[in-house]
Amino acid sequence: MRIKLAQRWIDLLTREPESGMGYQRVDVRFADGRELKDAIVFNAEDLEVPEGFANTDIEHVRLHAG
Amino acid sequence: MLRLSEAQTRSLLAQPETGMGYQEVEATLRDNRTEKGIVYNAELMFEGNESRNILKLASYPTVLKEARSAGDEIKSLRVLRVREGVKSLSTRDASGVVKKSAGPAKDAPVEKTKADEVFKRFSAYENDRRVAADKSLLPGSYATTEDDAKNVKTGKDAVSRYALPNPEPASYVFTIKPKKDTDIQRGVVEPANGQPGLGVEVIFTNGTTANTVTLPPDKIPD
Repeated sequence: MRIKLAQRWIDLLTREPESGMGYQRVDVRFADGRELKDAIVFNAEDLEVPEGFANTDIEHVRLHAG
Repeated sequence: MLRLSEAQTRSLLAQPETGMGYQEVEATLRDNRTEKGIVYNAELMFEGNESRNILKLASYPTVLKEARSAGDEIKSLRVLRVREGVKSLSTRDASGVVKKSAGPAKDAPVEKTKADEVFKRFSAYENDRRVAADKSLLPGSYATTEDDAKNVKTGKDAVSRYALPNPEPASYVFTIKPKKDTDIQRGVVEPANGQPGLGVEVIFTNGTTANTVTLPPDKIPD
């Protein structure tokens, strides 16, 4: 499923390079302590997440290294 | 970042390249652990997770000079065979010259665009956020050559040819006409995301200047 990122994360990601045409690979830390490594964001705004992450606040997003 | 010994360089020169000017390797270390990495010009090795940004900031000879000597830390080097399917492909640049090419654009050196080169960017989004309000492309944005884009008739074709992870058709086509001498990296899309890839990809390393992207985008069939 996809969740819409808040504007602050959109602003952050548009300042970072893409991983391919139209997408970025990111690491995400959620407010409940869970982390997603190498997740995909489309158009700097749509984050692909597994079920169960939909209503969790995001604490930090950064480009995935590697 | 390691500077390889003469013997290690000779061993790599006896093995094939992974892409133009580099080899992806597995190094067997003195304690018999193995470490993957990338070696440039058979002499300069970066370990798997090590940033290679320094190559954008300093000249290659300077980076090589400052690299730590591998000494006897490495017992042997073996070139990985992961990209053999891509290695033999050729691409055609905007002037029609066939270039033997290989790896992804992110691993390619930064070049300059020629006069009147045209590029295309396929997107599932009409409001593509990499296109700024002043009709420039943001730094680090991907596109393809006009020539390669001729292979794409539908948005699904674009998903396949550029191995896009977003299965939605990339049916919006932005035309980019950068000024001469814009920084660019050129490569070939690796198979990924269950897609064959193998289209030509470019990265506008530092973006493009204002009024270089045509808006609104064209729309091709999904």
